[in-house]
Amino acid sequence: MKTSKYICTLALATSLTLTGCSDFLDTKINSSITGDNFYKTEDDFKAATAPLYNKVWFDFNDKFYYGLGDGRGFNLYAPYSDYVYPFTDLNETGLTGPLVSAWNSFYNVIQQSNKVILGIKGSDLNDEEIKNQYIAEARFMRGVAYYYLAMLWGNVIICENTDELVSNPIVNTNSTSDAFQFVMRDLEFAAKYLPETSTAPGRINKYSAFALLSRVYLTYAGYSDNHNSGTRSQEYLDLAKKAAEKVITESDFKMMDNYEDLFKIDNNNNSESIFAFQWVPNGSYGETNTLQSYFACGSEITNDDAAWGYWTRAQPDVIWEYEQGDIRRKATWMGYGDHYDEIQIANGGYTYEKTEEALNVKKYVCGSTKDNAKISKQSCPINTYMMRLAEVYLIYAETVLGNNASTTDVTALEYFNKVRIRAGLEPKDAITFEDIRHERRIELCMEGQYWYDLVRWSYYKQQEVINYIISQNRDVIDPVLWNSDSQTLSIDDSRDPSSRSIGNIDQTIFLLPYPESEAVQNPLLKEAPVPYEFKEDRITDLFN
Amino acid sequence: MKNTDHYFRLSALFILLFFIPVCSFAQSIAVKGIVKDLSGEPVIGASVTETGTTNGVITDLKGEFSLKVSPSGQLAISFIGYQKQTIQIAGKTQFNIVMRENSKVLDEVVVVGYGQMKRSDLTGSVVSVSSDVISKSVITSVDQILQGRAAGVQVQQNTGMPGGSSSIRIRGINSLNASNEPIFVIDGVIIDGSTSSNTDNALSSINPSDIVSMDVLKDASATAIYGSRAANGVIIITTKRGQKGEARINYNGYIGSQQMPKKLDMLNLREYAEHKNVRSGTDYSGNGWGIVETDNNFVRPDLLGKGTDWQDEMFKNAEMTSHNMSVTGGSDKSTYALGAGYLNQDGIAIGSGFRRLNLRGSFDADVKKYLKMGINYAFSNSYQKLTVSDESLIETALKQTPNVAVRNADGTFDGPDTDEYVQNNPVGLAMIKDNRNEKMDIRVNTYAEAKIISGLSFKTELSFDYGMNNTYKFDPSYSFGALVNDTREGQYSKSYSKYWSWRNILTYNKTFDLHNITAMFGQEMQKSRWEYLFGSRKGYLSNSATDLTLGDASTAKNDGNSGENSLLSYFGRFFYSYNDRYLLTLTLRRDGSSKFYKDNRWGWFPSAALAWKISNEDFLKDNDVINNLKLRLGWGEVGNQNVTNNAYLATYSSVATVWGTGLLAGNTPNPDLKWETTYSSNIGFDINLFQNRIEFISDFYYKKTKDLLLQVPLPAYVGTSGSGSTSAPWKNIGSLENKGMELTLNTVNIDKKNFQWRSNLVFSLNRNKVKELDTETSLIDKTYQSGSLVTIVTRTSVGRPIGEFYGYKVIGRFEKATDFYYKDADGNIQPTALPENMSMGKNSIWIGDYIFEDVNKDGVINEKDRTFIGNPEPDFTIGIGNTFSYKNFDLSVYLHGSYGNEVVNWVRRDLENPRENTNLLKSSLDYAQLELINPDGPDDYRNVRVSGGDQYACRMASSSATNSSNYRYSDSFIEDGSYLRIQSVSLGYNFPHKWINKMGFQNLKLYCNLQNVYTFTKYKGYDPEIGSSNQDALLSGFDNYRYPSPRIYTFGLNLTF
Repeated sequence: MKTSKYICTLALATSLTLTGCSDFLDTKINSSITGDNFYKTEDDFKAATAPLYNKVWFDFNDKFYYGLGDGRGFNLYAPYSDYVYPFTDLNETGLTGPLVSAWNSFYNVIQQSNKVILGIKGSDLNDEEIKNQYIAEARFMRGVAYYYLAMLWGNVIICENTDELVSNPIVNTNSTSDAFQFVMRDLEFAAKYLPETSTAPGRINKYSAFALLSRVYLTYAGYSDNHNSGTRSQEYLDLAKKAAEKVITESDFKMMDNYEDLFKIDNNNNSESIFAFQWVPNGSYGETNTLQSYFACGSEITNDDAAWGYWTRAQPDVIWEYEQGDIRRKATWMGYGDHYDEIQIANGGYTYEKTEEALNVKKYVCGSTKDNAKISKQSCPINTYMMRLAEVYLIYAETVLGNNASTTDVTALEYFNKVRIRAGLEPKDAITFEDIRHERRIELCMEGQYWYDLVRWSYYKQQEVINYIISQNRDVIDPVLWNSDSQTLSIDDSRDPSSRSIGNIDQTIFLLPYPESEAVQNPLLKEAPVPYEFKEDRITDLFN
Repeated sequence: MKNTDHYFRLSALFILLFFIPVCSFAQSIAVKGIVKDLSGEPVIGASVTETGTTNGVITDLKGEFSLKVSPSGQLAISFIGYQKQTIQIAGKTQFNIVMRENSKVLDEVVVVGYGQMKRSDLTGSVVSVSSDVISKSVITSVDQILQGRAAGVQVQQNTGMPGGSSSIRIRGINSLNASNEPIFVIDGVIIDGSTSSNTDNALSSINPSDIVSMDVLKDASATAIYGSRAANGVIIITTKRGQKGEARINYNGYIGSQQMPKKLDMLNLREYAEHKNVRSGTDYSGNGWGIVETDNNFVRPDLLGKGTDWQDEMFKNAEMTSHNMSVTGGSDKSTYALGAGYLNQDGIAIGSGFRRLNLRGSFDADVKKYLKMGINYAFSNSYQKLTVSDESLIETALKQTPNVAVRNADGTFDGPDTDEYVQNNPVGLAMIKDNRNEKMDIRVNTYAEAKIISGLSFKTELSFDYGMNNTYKFDPSYSFGALVNDTREGQYSKSYSKYWSWRNILTYNKTFDLHNITAMFGQEMQKSRWEYLFGSRKGYLSNSATDLTLGDASTAKNDGNSGENSLLSYFGRFFYSYNDRYLLTLTLRRDGSSKFYKDNRWGWFPSAALAWKISNEDFLKDNDVINNLKLRLGWGEVGNQNVTNNAYLATYSSVATVWGTGLLAGNTPNPDLKWETTYSSNIGFDINLFQNRIEFISDFYYKKTKDLLLQVPLPAYVGTSGSGSTSAPWKNIGSLENKGMELTLNTVNIDKKNFQWRSNLVFSLNRNKVKELDTETSLIDKTYQSGSLVTIVTRTSVGRPIGEFYGYKVIGRFEKATDFYYKDADGNIQPTALPENMSMGKNSIWIGDYIFEDVNKDGVINEKDRTFIGNPEPDFTIGIGNTFSYKNFDLSVYLHGSYGNEVVNWVRRDLENPRENTNLLKSSLDYAQLELINPDGPDDYRNVRVSGGDQYACRMASSSATNSSNYRYSDSFIEDGSYLRIQSVSLGYNFPHKWINKMGFQNLKLYCNLQNVYTFTKYKGYDPEIGSSNQDALLSGFDNYRYPSPRIYTFGLNLTF
């Protein structure tokens, strides 16, 4: 009996001593970096800013980029794709999937950028220049996201500190104008503190910020309380011109010689690319570019069943805008008989013969793994353009045109015609607003831009834009036939036109509804905006 | 010194007792006898002992015994399930003993936390289910055992898929956090019932036939001993251990067939073609619908046959086999139990199935007089096929159109003739896609228990649970009609988990006169760790060999992560009873958890319970009617620590970028995070009447949960939704309450020689309500995404039950022009509220469209008009069991029901929408038909009326906007989910012992079981038992193509020798 007592007492004593140590509750974390160990070095800053070029933009890029930009812009016809036609038909709601994901995406960009900015600001690294450079990179991203939010939803919540919003998420919106002001502060900071040349291919530099600024200034030039004022602010037109001029004259960016080459994976981060999302080959969902799977017209292109684009087609309206001989048509849309060397390379290229009744999407369609090893199912790592030099040329021309009916300014013509000449077209000797509208639509077609052009235009000539959209007859679907010999698209009289029910075309179409779940969670979202209290002044010495 | 004296006196008594038998041997006589039961069958293995001695034998195969006893002694005869008898020997040498079955074993032992108790000493609310129940139904997983059999325990299977999970709610929903599953304590190993998945069952590795009993600790006075993890209740599972005596070998096996209990009424090819022609044709006024283009294949629908019935193709009769073998036995000093089990259950849907192999053994030995040691191990290996669920193939099968063939003439799989907006071939995918997992689980528990001094014992116990889970996925290339996939991809993962715990328990038990004390003090440390490794490759050259090495190395992807958490605890229990009348139990536990920041790590969990055995009072003691009357009162506090690891700490997660690994903020840390605490009070009565022929147990409880743990639902503009978002912070955000009652009635209705009838009735009722939520909006919404449409489907808000359905209310439809206007209270004509951005018009809102309730009376239907439209929680649930035995036959019929719960039939929302291009339910054709009142008049709303179709259905609209307005998530998809199900019918025949004894068998039983026999319900879907989507309590009763539970017929054999 004594032995047992002894053993047991010993066991008990041992166990209690062993478990007494509190280390037992400190667990080791191997699957993520914890807060205390980060934002120590420039490498950390690089690691923190890198995902701002892909993952946070994924939900925007996946469907909304073209669904809204080109779908609502009436470049796309996708009668069965609920990620396109609600926008084309102008009857999206706060529940429309891509609308909700785009909203999420913009705010993910904003909040992750905020965390980067605060993380770097709080870093004990003792080099303000380095710190400002990476803060500038994050502010650039935040600025771009707010630019989209302002153009799409108007009044939006401006936030610089996520933690404040976490503890009190029910806040009022700020006005469209404040949002633009905020965008300009962010991009101006970026223009001031980003380096002259990118630290790595694909990273933005000072001129990326100037290029975006030129677009934002141009947009804001037309913005006022009166959406039918008919004029734009000369001050902002001038700013836009200066910013564009900086990019054109001071930066290393150069136009590519061949338009088609812009849309090849191996030309990612080419000399014309100013800001583009940087997708990873063979990455996880969220890090990859999924565009090709929505655009490719059939499995023969992608070699897998992720080729859902047969019914995602060109609106006849945009095909009819192409001038004869415009090489951009074939680089943007596949017409019957078009041949592409870079797809199905093993078969000597791919000839599009799916149908004569439509044109399918070519831009961002690059082929299968066999054509380029970087491609895999639902992942075609071509960069998504957010800004390229050709647009800066067109912006420059537009700033010079300004409030005039037309311009013959030599520099404006030179830049404008660079874009036309590359497209295989005759140069113009005078530029009107209609020329610029047309050139932008065609040059940037399927780059998610045209709807924003219409919104920019509607800021000062709203009724004109409404009339323009009404004239598109979005409710009638004309059957068409592509003639590969004459390279023309004509109405097919042997088939009846069909109709689509579309939303009312009035001034409300220029703003999207807030996602329903957001409006439910925050009833203040639909209330009148409150002024934003800016925490800093605008930078004024950018163009000195 | 007085105590020491006492001790010596006791020792002396022991010594005395030891000598008595020795003395009595000297003058013993030989007695013989036979033990039979009421029906005259011999009782084998009954124990016959001489009272007060260790002298005894066990009856042989004929029920006979012989023994040398003192002629003036007593014989005690006992056998499990029979009333114990004591007979005076009084010099007789021949005994004919007839044993009566015991109606209720009052003094059965109940397992409570870290110990055992006599049922009669219980102060808390504990319900037990014995192995008897398992043998009378077809149960493949232990969680199914409890369904309707334990009051206060609500079990719903989340899927009918073999190996799938259940949702178990003990006394309602205690937490808003995803996990509401109780913990299971299996031979000392704690297993969390939550997997947050429909297909993955935490308990799938356990063989139900290994189980002896399941004890469910319900109220906090019983569960508080498990402290921080006990808030959702504790279920203690005890597996078989050996018994002294000759080895008993038992075989139990069955074969069975499973079938689809119900089919949905879908369109056949002709009906589908006719309907497609309608959609491509013209409407009542001669305008084109413009919904689809004319299909040239459907010019003459009358010539078409029935086409493919995809339900017939997708579902089949499936087989099921189970074999279980066990051996138990032991000597004086040691006992053992060995067992092996095999289960093979094919799924009724192609692409599903479950297989499991179990091996187990236990060995207990009295190694020293004062020391007992034992080990218990269980190994399981299971396989599960998941293709049907991971690919949503049931949804695909219902949506696939009847014009698509399953196979080509040459036997290969066919598919649709276009690759745009069509469904794939679900049968083909189910057959060729590899998607399965294999799990291995090794559970070991070993202990040593020492008696230090009389009444004081010390037990140390070490438990391990190792789990390995391999998943296999391979997407082969295929060509189904126009659907072609050339990309072959293999994805494999391995995960490994390890749990260990070490506990040390000191127990002291002492009786002084009328006082009885049991005190227990213990300490426990637990650690869980998991690791995960993933790899995938594409570019395989063929579909035949699929290991990663055959994929293209340049496409390789891999991933891996790990995590761990630990818990350190001290606990104690003090039990005191006075004169077996007044009972008191006090428990206290202190837990420290790694899931919280240092300052919030430790928590106290106390409880107290009182019981009064009124029937032991003098005034009731010898009452003929009342055999037992007990009042129980309990209170306690338990915790919940179900948050993700490291929720209190800022973490960054990796992102692949073109410049190398990038880091994004991964979470929003909350260092203030602490336990969720549930306070619960319980009052209960136990009454036994008429020699225990009627037993009635009732419990009433009130629970309040504070500091609810929740990953705060934040608006997306905080950056917490979608790709690249940070996860929302975990917070302690509010409180909720559950109150309810549970009644159990067990009766012996007839107890004749050859015929017995017993019934039991279980009734549970629970009401829950959210008391406060500190989120800004005081709301928690759950959304469901279908296509690219995200819909809020349930809402949890203050003052209301949890997870109520939330949507629009249909209050009628536009029948005539005047419906567009109504008279308000002042007699003014007002326009009827129309959906936002819609107006009166054929392509907008028209005759035949739904009128929604304008809840906020602002004249427009928008998201502000959504309201509560249904509650998934039942008003009550019942279980009714009846067991009949007649001679050697026994029959048991068991029913289970739920009343007053509502169900969202999302399937109808998809498949009753006549505008959709998928195949549809027949009822979709009942849409409102329109006609012109004056055929020559204009197509004006004043000249249009509804001319046919179902009176509650809306019209088919050519405008997609109108269509989505009519088919918005509304109460028209909410159905009454009440049901009463004949859950099982079991008929068995026990061969008479006189026959089988000759063959050397002790017991032989043949039986057949019918499971899920019939369901009485008004629900239109497959099955009203929906469960919770991925075990999420806030998303219950949401039928989104749930895998239907099969009807099972089995035929089996149980043999002991």
